Amino acid sequence: MRVMEQNIHESLPVIFSNLQKASEKQQNYDSAEHFGKLSEKYYQDAVSGDLRTIKDMIVTDISSMADIQSLAGENGDRGILRALRWGGKVAAIQKSLIDRYLSKGEALTEGKEIFLCEACGFIFLGNAVPGLCPVCKAPSSRFTKVGK
Amino acid sequence: MYASRNLSKCTKDCLCLFVCPTGATNTETGQIDSSRCLDGCRLCVDACPSKAIFLVMDEYPEPAPKDAASASKMMDLCSSRFAQEKAAAAIAASSDEPGLKKLTEALRQSLRITAEDCAREAGFMLPQSEPVRALMEELESS
Repeated sequence: MRVMEQNIHESLPVIFSNLQKASEKQQNYDSAEHFGKLSEKYYQDAVSGDLRTIKDMIVTDISSMADIQSLAGENGDRGILRALRWGGKVAAIQKSLIDRYLSKGEALTEGKEIFLCEACGFIFLGNAVPGLCPVCKAPSSRFTKVGK
Repeated sequence: MYASRNLSKCTKDCLCLFVCPTGATNTETGQIDSSRCLDGCRLCVDACPSKAIFLVMDEYPEPAPKDAASASKMMDLCSSRFAQEKAAAAIAASSDEPGLKKLTEALRQSLRITAEDCAREAGFMLPQSEPVRALMEELESS
């Protein structure tokens, strides 16, 4: 048996929650439940978190996306290029929201709602659901409101 | 392949009821009864004026294989995004400030979605695919 790569092992909850969603789309609800349980089984909480550390990691991710982009371009893998295009835009928005919170604090979200695009992860801070996701062009029905 | 109805797109014009030879499209829940649906018939799919009915596959073709180096880099990106998701979750769980709680909750969910996209493009898109089968076998044997 080959030893599982570290990055796969660390990401098992993500791999399985994605397969859960795929199974739901295929209407295989038993399979979806099975993957959902596996996703939870391998999940381990982080002890603590820090906004500035997250921000630094996002900056690193954005630069590694540029490297993967050239590799995927050489291989003609347009699926990866698509994921990087969406993921790069979403990462920039994640970073910008952290920057704005670090400078404005609690005033940032006051009187505003946060909406999330379930298709690409785009975060929108405002008063109404966007008509169309500016990152992936998913319709407003793919947005959910975060929190209460 | 059997038919399924997207209820939010269905305009209740009921053309599917006229064409279905088994009555599978006519149910109290609004969803098509897959046990009565004829494999691959698709009469309702073509008759629907709102494109609210589609066919769900039983079998899927094996996806095009991914280049190993790109896949590994996408998994590195996946695990980095996931580490950030967990850090955001820890902040959301421990913070008393409502704005920070909401922001980190949004980040947590957004990071999971982007991490999942990396896993998909690293080759774990389709549950019925060879990379997923190999992964499941490996987990079962360890």
